[in-house]
Amino acid sequence: MSSLARWLALALLLGGAAFFMSGYYNDVYRKLLLWIALALGYNFLFGICGQVAFSHFAFYGMGAYAIVIFLFQLHLPLPVAIVLGVLLCALIALAVAIPSTRLEGFYLALATLALAQLFIVVLNEGGAVTGGTGGLVDYRLPPVFGARITGPWYTVVIVALVLGTAAVLRRLDRSWFGRACRAVRDNPEAAAAMGVNVAQTRVIAFTLTSALAGLAGMVYAFVDNTVNPPIFGLENAFLLLFMVIVGGAGRHAGAVIGAILLYLLPFVLSPLIGHHHAVVFGVLVVAIILWQPHGLIGVYDGLKRS
Amino acid sequence: MQDFLELAVSATASGCIYGLVALAYLLMIRPTGIINFAVGEWAMVGAFGGFLLLAKLDWPYPLGMAAILAFMLLVGWATERVAVRPLAEKGAPLLAPILALLGALVVFRESISLGFGPDPHQVPEPFGFEHQKTFMIATTLAVFAATWFFFEKTLFGKAFEAVSLNRKAAALMGINLSRVTALSFGAGGVAAGLAGLLVAPNISAHYLMGVPLAIQGFTALVIGGVGRVEGALLGGLLLAFAEQLTVRYAPLPAGYAQGVPLLLLMLFLLARPTGLLRSR
Repeated sequence: MSSLARWLALALLLGGAAFFMSGYYNDVYRKLLLWIALALGYNFLFGICGQVAFSHFAFYGMGAYAIVIFLFQLHLPLPVAIVLGVLLCALIALAVAIPSTRLEGFYLALATLALAQLFIVVLNEGGAVTGGTGGLVDYRLPPVFGARITGPWYTVVIVALVLGTAAVLRRLDRSWFGRACRAVRDNPEAAAAMGVNVAQTRVIAFTLTSALAGLAGMVYAFVDNTVNPPIFGLENAFLLLFMVIVGGAGRHAGAVIGAILLYLLPFVLSPLIGHHHAVVFGVLVVAIILWQPHGLIGVYDGLKRS
Repeated sequence: MQDFLELAVSATASGCIYGLVALAYLLMIRPTGIINFAVGEWAMVGAFGGFLLLAKLDWPYPLGMAAILAFMLLVGWATERVAVRPLAEKGAPLLAPILALLGALVVFRESISLGFGPDPHQVPEPFGFEHQKTFMIATTLAVFAATWFFFEKTLFGKAFEAVSLNRKAAALMGINLSRVTALSFGAGGVAAGLAGLLVAPNISAHYLMGVPLAIQGFTALVIGGVGRVEGALLGGLLLAFAEQLTVRYAPLPAGYAQGVPLLLLMLFLLARPTGLLRSR
């Protein structure tokens, strides 16, 4: 079976599943798909390019707020709003990445932590533009070519986003750029000696994945039809990092496994320990790093080999 | 003028807190190269220690403070034992302990929120509200003087320096690397816990207080430079003045003061990545 046919079959399977789900499960399914898209992007940045950043989820929020503000306050047409939203995310990403990736060390981690923190402040203090603590509500996706996309059909849009993200990142991973990213992660000096521009590779990887997160955020904006500051809090940035570590950093399948597991785990844990599943995640992450640095996908590899 | 003096005193006091957090980072980065983002949560643990011992159990301040700092030494040491040493022994890359410490950060934060609930708690001052800023400044100066003395004048301090200059050579000279690492984490725990205990009367002990402190402390470190102990304090003071002047004179909501560290961080990374003070 050719690779295109395999992608189409996967799209049919994932998209078709939405038509067999009731409202609640459809909602859970949509959010799970969005987490997978985010984890795939973050895996490219952290797992493949070796950069620790806490802004991925903030860019998701920026995308979501941007599209709502562009559409309903500036009254731009949908395609223009999407392009401008992606550009906005990319520009902010560039402004943060250029100073912080020039040096060795973990400056990007701190800069993006500060950015994520500041983003929440801007949302809360933004007055009428961001709707303050209440956020923005009561908007609907404008019709596309005269048709309203609702219900399972919108889930199909999310499936397209996830598969599109996966396809782009896989293609990128197998190109010279993906190899440059892995080289930069494993040994920046050696990569530089081979002619890879280390700082440039880092900046491009960060900007690209941040723009992808922004795009996912735009799709999210019409899932709940509301955006507010608590949704985009810093805990989710940690959750994303943990998903990739638990699943197996540097592997697309690992990111998917980690996202599914850590997204669904609270549904199982909540009846037992209430809202404190974050403790479990923290312990899980420390344990994985200590005993299985390649994550769950590493466990699977080990089983397959023996 | 009166107004400006008040601002200067309050900025100096905040600057001392940032300086202490920066010192906690520095104590761990220099010998190990590990950036421990959990320092903010350590400060939070110190603050909650203050609430538990000084407010709830009503211990006398000096005794409570000594107990908290001893406990923080233990927290730092235990964190190193659990999340750093096994990885160092396996020869894992530097990123591994940093990620393990991020996991530990979440464990600290959620355990505190589990134990004390999500509401802020009052922590008392030793000499009353009006003298708290003086107390913060005096304590910080004493800590920095002691740290300076330790690095410059004692043999063990020299061992610390030797490890940060060249780990392999230091080990070959008979310096016990794992003891230096354990001590650096213990000392980092004490410095961070002290910062939390001192700042708690002003901002209350709250389970989310850690991350802003971690950001401000690291910014102070970048401003001052990792090379010198005094740099941490200088960087903290500069950051605090920048923040307070922004809040006082810029027509922006107070929340935007949180943007000042990010802006300074970007500026210093672009213009002066080694920090203000060069290492000797």
